[in-house]
Amino acid sequence: MRGGAIAILAWATVLLVLFIGNWIWDAKPVNAATAAFAAVVTYATGVALWLARREALRPGPPAPRSEPESVPQSSLAAVLIGLSVGTILFGLAWANFLVYFGAGILVLSLGRLVLELRSERATRRRLLGEEEPR
Amino acid sequence: MSVATAPRARLARRGGWPEALTSTDHKQIGLNLGACSLFFFLLGGVFALILRTQLAQSNMQVLSDNSYNEIFTMHGSTMIYLFVTPMAVAMATYLVPLQIGAVRLSAPRLSLAGFWTWLAGGLVMESSWLTADGAGRTGWSSYVPMSNSTNTPGVGQDLWVIGVILVALGLTAMSICVTVTVARRRAPGMALLRMPVFTWTALLSVLMIVAAFPMLILAMTLLFIDRTGAGHIYTGFAGAIDYQDLFWFFGHPVVYVMFFPYLGGAAEAVAVNAHKRWFGYTAFVVSIMMFSALSMAVWSHHMYTTGGVTNQYFAFTSTLLLVPAGIEYFDMIGTLIGGAIVLRASMLFALTFFLQFLVGGLSGVFVASPVLDYHAYGTYIVVAHFHYTLFAGSIFGFFAAAYHWFPKLTGALLREGLGKLQLAVMVIGTNLTFFPMFFLGNDGMPRRVSRYPTHPEWGTLNLLETIGAGIIALGVLIFLINVIVSLRRRIVAGDDPWLGHTLEWATTSPPPPLNFEAPLPPVRSYAPLLDLREQQLDRERRLEGAPA
Ligand SMILES: [Cu+2]
Repeated sequence: MRGGAIAILAWATVLLVLFIGNWIWDAKPVNAATAAFAAVVTYATGVALWLARREALRPGPPAPRSEPESVPQSSLAAVLIGLSVGTILFGLAWANFLVYFGAGILVLSLGRLVLELRSERATRRRLLGEEEPR
Repeated sequence: MSVATAPRARLARRGGWPEALTSTDHKQIGLNLGACSLFFFLLGGVFALILRTQLAQSNMQVLSDNSYNEIFTMHGSTMIYLFVTPMAVAMATYLVPLQIGAVRLSAPRLSLAGFWTWLAGGLVMESSWLTADGAGRTGWSSYVPMSNSTNTPGVGQDLWVIGVILVALGLTAMSICVTVTVARRRAPGMALLRMPVFTWTALLSVLMIVAAFPMLILAMTLLFIDRTGAGHIYTGFAGAIDYQDLFWFFGHPVVYVMFFPYLGGAAEAVAVNAHKRWFGYTAFVVSIMMFSALSMAVWSHHMYTTGGVTNQYFAFTSTLLLVPAGIEYFDMIGTLIGGAIVLRASMLFALTFFLQFLVGGLSGVFVASPVLDYHAYGTYIVVAHFHYTLFAGSIFGFFAAAYHWFPKLTGALLREGLGKLQLAVMVIGTNLTFFPMFFLGNDGMPRRVSRYPTHPEWGTLNLLETIGAGIIALGVLIFLINVIVSLRRRIVAGDDPWLGHTLEWATTSPPPPLNFEAPLPPVRSYAPLLDLREQQLDRERRLEGAPA
């Protein structure tokens, strides 16, 4: 984790400088908006990483991770989410019933995603519990 | 080493296709995306062969004008949205966690959902072939007003637009996962300036995707709304320019997404096959950061002739791209000098990548100049330029990467002889196909036309190109044969067949579910395995020199 946000924020800053140049010489509202969006997204990524863990802004090599994590091996929910988004958009161009069908699958797969995440969290808690006596 | 304490017994066993299709293992997701991309590459290649057949002579009747428009649109769209870009993301998804010593990808469900969204997008896009009015037919850039519902009616074009939106959504999701993985999961010791060269190129590519692809989604969503009649967003001259501004804000960076990971792959192949660490690493990292950021600020060079942009600024940033590009070539040459060079297929493909990309890059200097671009715009010069960057460049980089990492992915070596034969065939085919385009374009032959005036010189050059395209197809066929032969009659690769530099070579081939079973070697530079070997050599030398 250590230092993870630095590269992203550095890159965002170079972007910002270039976009300011672009704005000075080519002040079109569309260009200003797209450029601002890109800069904001990149900065936001860096800031989110920093908020998750402060060491993201500390330079130097990362230390070993010690906390256990449970690793998912498969996810039907993720597959269905991808496919249902595809079905909804396909339906917009092809046939309206597919939009409703896709939306139904999306709701179900989001439900399944919640279950998957809960069981993952439970596994993690169990692992933490097992580790504690040591 | 990262500690993941999930019980090993519960991890997915490879084999069954339901496991393979729902697996959250980044290697499986990367393989799935790579395999599907490769399928689309073949499809896009077939489209190219049909185009070249139509163009073999001036008045061929293979395709109607409308079918020609469909085929060139779907050729470009399939290659860009469904092969070169997703293959770059596939390589990043498979290799980056291994290279940084991570046991897994961050947010693997998002990556998996992204893969399926992308695949749905690809299928939706190609499904436009099945409609009564035919497939998407307004080019991969689908300019307004040509692509609005008045000028290009029909559900086929709608499906093309929807397909592009899905593809962009999927690849953006997958890119977020790679970005977070690099930020959060590097092995102990792996500071940012110890990340492998490929990982850097992959990181900057996924950052460009995250920053630029949403504009493609926006551009296409607005186009779709316009096409349904629900909105009047892209109207008049201003609307056409707005569309182009949005589109090229994505459209130029994607060119670099389609370049960087292949550059990274070629760079790794050069360093490993020269048995030297990549020369000028820090300069390289700084330069590709500048390179990628600059490439986000040049988009309007696609619009010089519209009269709707400030040409000077974009000519300036576009020409500036030469500086980081020069640093990369300098580093490549520096790596070769004094190296113990082994000319394996991967190395030869990598060197050819650098040489042929030079033609694409240098022709880019010409089209970056507004004055010269007025001459080149809309002609075959542009087609020659971007095929030298994307095909003669990136695809050769892809094959360098394929020969380099195939043993890691499969545990088997590709046949070297077939590899070298493929290279020779493809070099001939590539240059025969794309070099004459410079002459044709300079002579004024427009792109995107199905017929051209009868003119002896144009006929000959076009025929040469068509023959070249056939030779390229032969080269690709040799690669497929090589893959099949190498998987059927396996030559076992072992963990580290090339004396690799980076952590993916410190694990088994293919790697186990959690990537590393043995403890990772210490990471003290961007070439930790090379460090180990050098230490070993030092120790042996000292023992030899020590008095008995
Ligand atoms: Cu460009």
